[in-house]
Amino acid sequence: MGLINYNIEKYSPKQLVIIPLALLVISLVLLTLNIVTTGMPVTPGIDFSGGTAVTIITTDSKEQIQSTFAGYPLSEISDMNNGKFLQFGTMSDTQANNLTALINQKYPDATINQIGETFGKTLQIQALLALIFSFIGMAIVIFIAFRTFVPAGAVVLSAFADMAMTAAVMNIVGIPLTLGTVAALLMLIGYSVDSDILLTNRVLKRQGKLNDKLTGAFHTGIIMTSTTLAATAAMFIVSWLGSVEILWEISAVLLIGLVADILNTWLTNAAILKWYVQKGGGK
Amino acid sequence: MNSKELKHLLLDWRIATLIILVILSIVAIYPHFENGDLVSNLQYGLDLQQGSWIQLEMKGEVVGYTTSQQLEPFLTNLSQQLGTQVTPIDATHLEILKAVPQDQLEAIFEANGGNITSYSPGVSKNTADDVKLILENKINSLGTKDAKVNTLIGFNNVARYIRVELAGVDMKQAQDIVGKQGKFEIRIVTTNNQSEHVLFGNDITSVQTPSQEPPGSDKWGVSFTLSPAGAQAFRNAAISYGATTDPSNHYLMMLLDNKTVYSAPLSTDLANQVQTQPITQLYASTGSGTYGTQQATDLEIHLRAGALPVDVGIAATGGQSAPMGERYKAMALLAGIFALITVGLVIYYRYREPSIVLPMVCVNASEVLILLGFIALIRFQMDLPTIAGLIAVMGTGIDQLVVITDEILHEGKVPSPNLYLKRLARALGIIVTAAATVLIAMFPLAVMDLSTLKGFAIITILGVLVGVIVTRPAYGKIIMEILSK
Repeated sequence: MGLINYNIEKYSPKQLVIIPLALLVISLVLLTLNIVTTGMPVTPGIDFSGGTAVTIITTDSKEQIQSTFAGYPLSEISDMNNGKFLQFGTMSDTQANNLTALINQKYPDATINQIGETFGKTLQIQALLALIFSFIGMAIVIFIAFRTFVPAGAVVLSAFADMAMTAAVMNIVGIPLTLGTVAALLMLIGYSVDSDILLTNRVLKRQGKLNDKLTGAFHTGIIMTSTTLAATAAMFIVSWLGSVEILWEISAVLLIGLVADILNTWLTNAAILKWYVQKGGGK
Repeated sequence: MNSKELKHLLLDWRIATLIILVILSIVAIYPHFENGDLVSNLQYGLDLQQGSWIQLEMKGEVVGYTTSQQLEPFLTNLSQQLGTQVTPIDATHLEILKAVPQDQLEAIFEANGGNITSYSPGVSKNTADDVKLILENKINSLGTKDAKVNTLIGFNNVARYIRVELAGVDMKQAQDIVGKQGKFEIRIVTTNNQSEHVLFGNDITSVQTPSQEPPGSDKWGVSFTLSPAGAQAFRNAAISYGATTDPSNHYLMMLLDNKTVYSAPLSTDLANQVQTQPITQLYASTGSGTYGTQQATDLEIHLRAGALPVDVGIAATGGQSAPMGERYKAMALLAGIFALITVGLVIYYRYREPSIVLPMVCVNASEVLILLGFIALIRFQMDLPTIAGLIAVMGTGIDQLVVITDEILHEGKVPSPNLYLKRLARALGIIVTAAATVLIAMFPLAVMDLSTLKGFAIITILGVLVGVIVTRPAYGKIIMEILSK
């Protein structure tokens, strides 16, 4: 593939690692700031904070919608193509029932989701636990597979950096943490290590010159990530055109994560491996 | 490739397995036309078809406790002061079927010489199963098709939420169905198959869980309590219609929503007792063995007339309209097809060789097909996160085909069979490690019951397994045949 020249020979491990490291630090600072202000690393959506989410396909303007729902705690109207996504804060059961009735009368084709605050909290704790457990599980598999500290640590570090950068970008572009985006983050934990495993395997288990092996691994690895990127981009475009919010959110998170993954695999992980091999580790 | 080689290739077990699975999947999915619409055996979740779901919170708690007191009086005191049933689950845990805040509960326990060691909102697995059965019965009795009731049981074996999914029903109807009580009635047979009203369900003050009478006899039944007025009405009717003097010709009937759910004569013993005074404590025997237990469980539910053993509140609810469901379904299909095409284009850009690209895309598509077949077979309800998972499987599945191709193509185009096997083994090593990480990453979700994400995790895990066990080995064989041309 001639588009990108991966010329790792020219740079020392330190030079390679500096950009992703800086980005990781910035991401962690942003996430900490978010924790301080909202209590969560990524701002939770309706699924976790509780409230009502309504999806309608309509040509009505935001002002018209606002006046329709004037008596209710309408907190946000976002739109994607011709779909409108309404978010309401928590309300009493009676008010919620009235709202459902009003929506059914005004927009009979709407999708409605009402999540109670306590239930949201329960889900949120479980989702965070799932993310932590799955990250730990992934790390254990990697350490068992490579059995040496530095290469395994490098893979786990890049996966961690993927997650941190993705979460930070989610905050910047305003993608909330929902059941869908948690699913996407979990997919990232599983899939982002694909190319790291390939890289580590090629560098440590194959014969040959280090730089050739790195370039060879890049040649294969970048195609791997591009195919996943292509599938995800297709999902991103279709879900935007069709206003399917949950698919759009999932694919957006995957896209961000995959780009972060390219950076972390071919800069962070490659740099650590290069340093490790030059120090005399591996073969 | 001549026909002999093709035959040889098709007979290889790896490829044969792949082909057989693809055929079986198509059979399982069974796409066909019905009244001009393309339909299949695939089931959809409530974001892809019209329907509603309700997540109920069971308002009780399970507490760990210690006490210096005797167990029996301790439990009786607690039960009286809390005004609800308190049941021991095991030696150190109690179930309280009423929402009581932790601090209040602690105070009550302390006053009775006990201590709370843990507090989890929810009910025991047994109670949750009861609630599930009652809800299922209620939904079935209303003739609602395509209903699903799922209990979400936490790691500590405490169930706090129960999810009801009703296809084709809007949110208001769904709430009515779940909240609706059945009409329970007891009648006595008079003459010529006629019967007379005795009492309604509101005269039944409590219903116990199925028990054996005498204990340990394997003869099952359910005891229940009548209000004083109910007991009086029961006595009057039994005497005036002759059920006490001639029980075998004057059966007692129990009806739920006008359907007979139980019918039996009064026992001689009971007949004599009723003759002399009103009896509040009744026992309906249902037979022995598994059959008797099952009947007893059903009867318990009927006696409760759809009332749940614990108060529930709506924790979350949602509804999908038919047009929006159709729209999402179309978009999901479109996204899938579009993804397959773009993946194919990227692969083509890389290899520029139709004889490599075509098998790759076909193997990739067959993987998704096998997964869909499996989804149809287990009647799993596909929802949008699952579809996102399937599309991601497409992207990563092809990744691994790239790993195989590149490992084998490494240095020179035509590897000897020996070298080929070594390289394939190395490629599979990378793939298995990658697959293991995905499996582990999805595992917490698959066991945790995080609402709709459980299905997504299971499908992703299945996708990885199908890939590693079936499609990658088959692709390895195909690509070897093609490259050795």
